Amino acid sequence: MNKIIVTLISLFTSLSAFADSVVKSNPWSLSTYLPPEDISVNGHLIDYLFNYTTYFNIFFFVLVCLGLIGFSWMYRAKNHPKPYYTYGNKKSHILVATAIGLFVFLTVDMNITRISNNDYVGVFTNWPNAKKEQVLKVEVLAQQWAWSFRYAGKDGVFNTEDDVVSLNDLRLPTGKKIVFQLQSKDVIHSFFIANTRRKVDAIPGRITRMWFELKDGTAGDYEIACAEMCGTYHYRMAAKLKVYPQEKFDRWMTEAEEKAKQENDADNAELFWGWPWSSNSNVSMMKK
Amino acid sequence: MAFYEQHIHPKPTTFLSKYIFSFDHKMIARQFIWYGILGLGLGGMMAMLIRWTLSNPGVPFPVLGNLFFPMSGGVVPPDSYAMLFTMHGTIMIFYAITPLLIGAFGNFCIPLMIGARDMAFPAMNMLSFWLAVLSAIILVASLFVPLGAAASGWTAYPTLSTLIGSPGVGQTLWAIAIFVLGISSTMGAINYITTVITLRAPGMGYFDMPLTVWGLWLTAILNAIFLPVLGAGGLLLVFDRVFGTQFFLAGAAATNGTGDPVLFQHVFWIFGHPEVYILILPAWGMVSDILSFFSRKPAFGAKATALAMTSITILSTLVYGHHMYTTQMSPLLTQTFMTLTMTISIPSAIFFANWLGTLWRGSIRFTSPMVFSMGVVFVFGLGGLTGLYLGTVTTDLYLHDTYFVVGHFHYTMAASVLLGSFAAIYFWFPKMFGKMLCEKLALTHFWITFLGLNGVFMGMMMVGYGGMHRRIYNPFIYEYLEKLIPLNALITTAALLMGIGQIPFLINLVSTLFFKKEMAPDNPWEVGTLEWTIPTPAPHYNFKNIPVVKCGPHEFGNPNLTTGRDFQYQTEELVKG
Repeated sequence: MNKIIVTLISLFTSLSAFADSVVKSNPWSLSTYLPPEDISVNGHLIDYLFNYTTYFNIFFFVLVCLGLIGFSWMYRAKNHPKPYYTYGNKKSHILVATAIGLFVFLTVDMNITRISNNDYVGVFTNWPNAKKEQVLKVEVLAQQWAWSFRYAGKDGVFNTEDDVVSLNDLRLPTGKKIVFQLQSKDVIHSFFIANTRRKVDAIPGRITRMWFELKDGTAGDYEIACAEMCGTYHYRMAAKLKVYPQEKFDRWMTEAEEKAKQENDADNAELFWGWPWSSNSNVSMMKK
Repeated sequence: MAFYEQHIHPKPTTFLSKYIFSFDHKMIARQFIWYGILGLGLGGMMAMLIRWTLSNPGVPFPVLGNLFFPMSGGVVPPDSYAMLFTMHGTIMIFYAITPLLIGAFGNFCIPLMIGARDMAFPAMNMLSFWLAVLSAIILVASLFVPLGAAASGWTAYPTLSTLIGSPGVGQTLWAIAIFVLGISSTMGAINYITTVITLRAPGMGYFDMPLTVWGLWLTAILNAIFLPVLGAGGLLLVFDRVFGTQFFLAGAAATNGTGDPVLFQHVFWIFGHPEVYILILPAWGMVSDILSFFSRKPAFGAKATALAMTSITILSTLVYGHHMYTTQMSPLLTQTFMTLTMTISIPSAIFFANWLGTLWRGSIRFTSPMVFSMGVVFVFGLGGLTGLYLGTVTTDLYLHDTYFVVGHFHYTMAASVLLGSFAAIYFWFPKMFGKMLCEKLALTHFWITFLGLNGVFMGMMMVGYGGMHRRIYNPFIYEYLEKLIPLNALITTAALLMGIGQIPFLINLVSTLFFKKEMAPDNPWEVGTLEWTIPTPAPHYNFKNIPVVKCGPHEFGNPNLTTGRDFQYQTEELVKG
């Protein structure tokens, strides 16, 4: 009897919590079903390509549906008892089928391939040159089930005792290119920031990279997730992303560097999980 | 065309030789059907547990929860959740869809539709089934070992699937089960390929084969080439886990630093992408046939359809890299894989043109196989088009490993293949078991399933686009996903609906098999392919005299026909004006 009451109560509370969430989620607003706010300078490229593909997809899918439903209605046996005897190998038939295939390929496929490739080569893998412009470098170490972040500190060199290190707490400035290098300690993880439309895997034994720049006026709190299945608590492998305007970030960084110098214990081997910043992404690392 | 004539062996008389270790392809097909339906039930039950957890995290699963998870009071715990989605994927792909479409209908249709008395290697056929049973036993046993079943997803990426991430013996058993199943499927594949090449009835050229046989044949070719690759990958994984090798280990745990976890991804997807087509090709073939059968006109551009299937088969082996964009692939490779992936849409577009061309100016009979086949055209349209986003490298950077991917591959691999399997079951059931399934129940089954699966998989794509990533036990610890709670609840409701939709099917199956007295006529659908020229249910050794094929499989609506029928059997000379 007690069990039943407990179950009923838990069911009831979950139901009311659910009703609450429905109201909060604003189910009739379109924005509920869109990706979270884009805070990166180049995220719009991905959104644009998504929408571009969607328009074509809707066009072609409507065509398929019109064919399916329209023909079903027009040519149902009752209505159309004498079928048209053809193998579909007349010149006109072959021409139409080929034209459809080529039309899809040339209008949709080749366009999205071209746009996507231009974006990928020209933007997403066009790594900022630290010699020519100001770049913030961050090392990310993924492990079950947390993210560690490392800034180079005052000396600009990674894996030294003045590095600023944090756990599940990433702070980034707006208006500056940020380059990440990622490593994993144990299994494959994936560094996913939905607000920048980007993710990259963190793989044991190799360094992967990602870069983006955050838009001005996007200061605030966001979330980082692990997108690649990494074990039981995969779903809890979340980190906070705090975006600061440039000056505020610089102030925070100066403070953090001071604090790091005072508090980092140079004798603690655990502190030095970083690696020398590498210019080649596929260097095998962590050989001990 | 047949290379040799198969002898007629005496009918098996003992229970064991007739029902258990049968060499008869029809009996093996029936065995595979039950095996597949059992797999569907098990995998579907797991899907229910997964969906319940996603929309009601922390709430005990109703009724059965306490039975399955007594330790947590009926709540699915996070580690069991990981085992559930791993097993759901594995079972549905390898133990439900594969046995149903390839095992059951491959076995049943190929010899009957090409006019053969049995498979080329009947003993190997029997062995193939019993190895599949052995594999299933190993897999199910892995649910009961300490630390539980495999929990690294059906893709089993190392290093999560090595001892670093999964210390339990469950993952080893998983790899062994897949390896054994690989042997079973390879045997089946070799059998199918040989049968189609050597045992086609006299007069039957490759383009006189029904498209169903084309689909099954191409599937068998892919199976024979690529399942050994998976087997090799699985074996290396077992070595890493049991014998201390380091093929896939890297990072802190690799003491000699020679392995690479990404190597497994390459091996897995070289197999894994063709696997998608392994599952869908038979369904494509069947749909192409059934659309023609019930439009009462020849399949539009049948030759082009067969060639398009062949070119997809070839292309499918060249595109696997699009599963690995986020491993930081070189732009040179992403460019290549992206372009190759996109070329698949040319043959796909030709398919759709031909399917719609078949319906065009037909005389459509809305029987259950027809309705299910039209459902396949619909869901495969959605599944195929949404693949564009994932084959495109930049949109994939956002969508990879989100529920968008889950929705997409369920549309292609689950929705269309499932509807295709049902179309096949309803269509060939009379020839298989000698009785017709109830049409009314079948149509009820269709509409509930169709509504349910669109709700589930469309919903999944929507939450994925909203940013919800895959394989998470409780999405709502993320603030930006909280707005998706109601949508997740909706998906769960739709999944439940889809589950309930299978009840009419089961009722239909049981009542027809055990209670229906009335036998089906020899050719209830009025179709001219070879299996409908023989009595129902198909007799021992199928064809008393090997038929001679004189025309194509889709001869409907020929205006010169004077027989009173609107179709021609393949054994009849084509009537010309």
